[in-house]
Amino acid sequence: MATEAVRSQVTAKWQYAFSRLNRDQPGITGLLTFSQAWMLATEMLRPKDLTSPESMTEYNMDNFRAAVAMLNRCHRLPALLETFLDNLRKAFHLIEREVQEHMTEYERTSETAIINRLLQRILQWYKAWAPPQDLGPTCLSAYTLNFQTNLFSILPSTFPTAFQSLCVSTLPSADPLVSIDHVTSSEPFWSAAEALGLMDRYDSIIASVGYEHIEAHVLSTCTGQWERSMLSDLRSWMADKVIPWMLVTYARNAQTPEEVRHLLQGVGSRFEFHMNKTLCDLRTREIFDIIIDFPDSMGALHDLKECLQRVDQRAALVQSLRRANRKRLLHPGADTKLILSQYVATIKCLRIVDPPGVLLFKVADPIRRYLRGRPDTIRCIVSNLVGDDENGDSLVDENEPIQPLQNVDVDDYSDPNWEPEPIDAGPEFRTNKPSDIITTLVSIYDSKDLFVKELQVLLAQRLLAVTDNDIEKIEKERRNIEILKIRFGEAALQVCEVMLKDMSDSKRMDTHVQVQKSSVVHPTVISRHFWPTLKTSHLKMPGQFQALQEEYAQEFNVFKPDKKLRWLPQLGTVHLELELEDRKVDVKVPPLEAAFIELFSQKPVWSMDELIEAVGSVDRSAALKALITWVDLEVLKEDAEDTFRLLEVSEESPDVPRERRAVVVSEDVPPVASAQQQQAERMKIYWKFIEGMLTNLGPLPLDRIQSMLRIVPGYDQTVEQLSMFLEAARREGLLLVRDGLWKLNR
Amino acid sequence: MEQLTSSLAPPRSSQKSNVTTSNQQNSGSVTKRLGNELMTLMMSSSPGISAFPKSDGNLFEWVGTIEGAPETVYAGLAFRISISFPPNYPYVAPAIKFESPCYHPNVDINSGAICLDILQDKWSAVYSVQTILLSLQSLLGEPNNASPLNVDAAGLWDRPDDFKTQVMKHYRGIKDES
Repeated sequence: MATEAVRSQVTAKWQYAFSRLNRDQPGITGLLTFSQAWMLATEMLRPKDLTSPESMTEYNMDNFRAAVAMLNRCHRLPALLETFLDNLRKAFHLIEREVQEHMTEYERTSETAIINRLLQRILQWYKAWAPPQDLGPTCLSAYTLNFQTNLFSILPSTFPTAFQSLCVSTLPSADPLVSIDHVTSSEPFWSAAEALGLMDRYDSIIASVGYEHIEAHVLSTCTGQWERSMLSDLRSWMADKVIPWMLVTYARNAQTPEEVRHLLQGVGSRFEFHMNKTLCDLRTREIFDIIIDFPDSMGALHDLKECLQRVDQRAALVQSLRRANRKRLLHPGADTKLILSQYVATIKCLRIVDPPGVLLFKVADPIRRYLRGRPDTIRCIVSNLVGDDENGDSLVDENEPIQPLQNVDVDDYSDPNWEPEPIDAGPEFRTNKPSDIITTLVSIYDSKDLFVKELQVLLAQRLLAVTDNDIEKIEKERRNIEILKIRFGEAALQVCEVMLKDMSDSKRMDTHVQVQKSSVVHPTVISRHFWPTLKTSHLKMPGQFQALQEEYAQEFNVFKPDKKLRWLPQLGTVHLELELEDRKVDVKVPPLEAAFIELFSQKPVWSMDELIEAVGSVDRSAALKALITWVDLEVLKEDAEDTFRLLEVSEESPDVPRERRAVVVSEDVPPVASAQQQQAERMKIYWKFIEGMLTNLGPLPLDRIQSMLRIVPGYDQTVEQLSMFLEAARREGLLLVRDGLWKLNR
Repeated sequence: MEQLTSSLAPPRSSQKSNVTTSNQQNSGSVTKRLGNELMTLMMSSSPGISAFPKSDGNLFEWVGTIEGAPETVYAGLAFRISISFPPNYPYVAPAIKFESPCYHPNVDINSGAICLDILQDKWSAVYSVQTILLSLQSLLGEPNNASPLNVDAAGLWDRPDDFKTQVMKHYRGIKDES
């Protein structure tokens, strides 16, 4: 039964199909005409081999149109299309063969023209196989899609690289003399690529060609070129060279300027961004050297500023600079002065790049911390302040107006121009308003007192080094102090004022004493309380020196009866003229040397221990140094170990005449204890007081200790410093702390 | 206690009569002197004696600590004293008394008053806090049994073991009061 139903159904279908193809024609004539039309259409559509003559066959388009109309009437067009696409796939080996031929040739010669030729050839195939317009757009797009799918599947893996090289070859040449006609001449290539769908497929390759071109250009023209701004040059280069290329590549078919703008908008801004980013990256890498070159690198800094506004690379810049600083600056091999000058340059540079100072703050922090750990930083800054600079390369800009030290401002919210802190500012960021360099340097340390103390020490050293009352030098110091007063305030430098006054008073006093009774001694009388602690010595000048000193002291007492001279014989210089049997020696030496040679006038041979005893007690190494000085001058000779003999007659052969020269032997040890040594001394005193108060008053909290320490004259530590000090004492096991109360550990 | 002061000494009032007039002008120099004494005391490291002002605002009230010298009955013991400087210091001796109970022939066990000649009639402006503290420290080991404030203690002095027992009975030590 079932078969009956099936049979009838099949019969019905058959009848239907037959009648559709036969179109109610008598007999099977309809069927015959249909098959003729089908044959004609498929034959015409069949992809032909372009290399064989059959491709030259011309077809009558009218016949074809009639055939297609017939097929359409029979609803067989889809089948026709299917057959056509099937044939296309089968015929694609023809193209594949040619592609392989071209690629092999390309691999052999690396000639991009071959690829261009290949593309044109494929385009030929594509056009030849395309179905006539009459089949409608659906058919055409189906064909294009299939063609491209097949094409992509047969393109070898080496093709993208080859394509890229071809793209590169279309770029404008770096040589400005070569006209850009070359660019426009590549238009057929781009059209072919677009027609074959390669533009979409290799979009990223084309873009990367653009990027790389820009990158190469930026790197080659801008590396190491910091004097002037390169951005405007780069922009005009983009306009002259890259835009034409982009026009050909992306906006070939544009009719109106609006259309061009629309087409280029996306890719144009991407390229422009890339240019900025490349320059920014380059400058970020070079930033350390740019800073070294400052102020000859202003252009680079302005470029960097502009780039940073477009490209968010601020964090990278900070990182790069910090890394460079750590590697190249903040290590023991670098001179403190160098670090300071680089720091100053960094300040100046980053102020240009980022006026609010966030970048500077982030970069400066490690430098400041490092400088704080260096023992000679203060000395270095201070010596720079007073212009004690042999190299003459001052950190401070001469033209910078001298201002008082500024305190860190608190935000003034009533200021109508107030601006919030920049978004990448850290929580500890302090808006340091563009302050002068000295303020910034001094702010490395928490208090300026350290500087003032070091200043005093330095001034003391320099004043003591002044010989023969060199008025000019003293006047220079006075000028310096006046300038520094503006910075540090009058009160802080009062001590320095006293020291300077001591100098001029000494001069006046000396003149007076010399009138009364002339003497070769010209002392500098200093007020002990106002001068930094001078290194003590037990040196006693022997013989005539002693007599000279006493004589002078007597005259002084007549002049100033209420005062008494206390000699510091180890300081100063002595101008000596030694009269030996065969020669005279004319030297300027430190007092200890003079004392020793004076002793040799009593007897010609001394042992070192005898000598040391005769001048009071001095350091053995200092004594040895003094004696070596005379040995070098060939006045003494070391006979046995530690035994020295005066050479009344020079030992050298007389036929070698020696140049008699005045030798100045200077004291190279600074006579003044440095501020840091003094600070350590002070901390010892504070400790005694802390010990005393904790013994008698029991455990105390930090703030109470701080307030009690105000009893100590000259106590100047902050609570934080005290806290650190106590903490250090605790680590040494001297103190215990419980519930915030400090007590002695006993 | 006053009556125990040696009658041989001239009355103290006569000594200071001319000084008190210039009291006001002198308070600055007294503070300075006390500051110097404190500095000297802190910088000299005499074992077992120490003193410090009670507060930073007032240099006239000090607290001191005296430890018994080794090889005396007071060895290893520490006593707290209070020192109160008069406005005309150093022309007048500071008032000193034991704050912690001290069983000693010349110390009143209840009030802490001390009988020491240099604190009364033998006072001189050349003495300082440091000399007072040193005297007190030596007084612990060598009492003046001729003028006792604590008669029991004076009587017991010749029997060191019993004396030590009494000392320890009264000894409180120094607790850490803040």
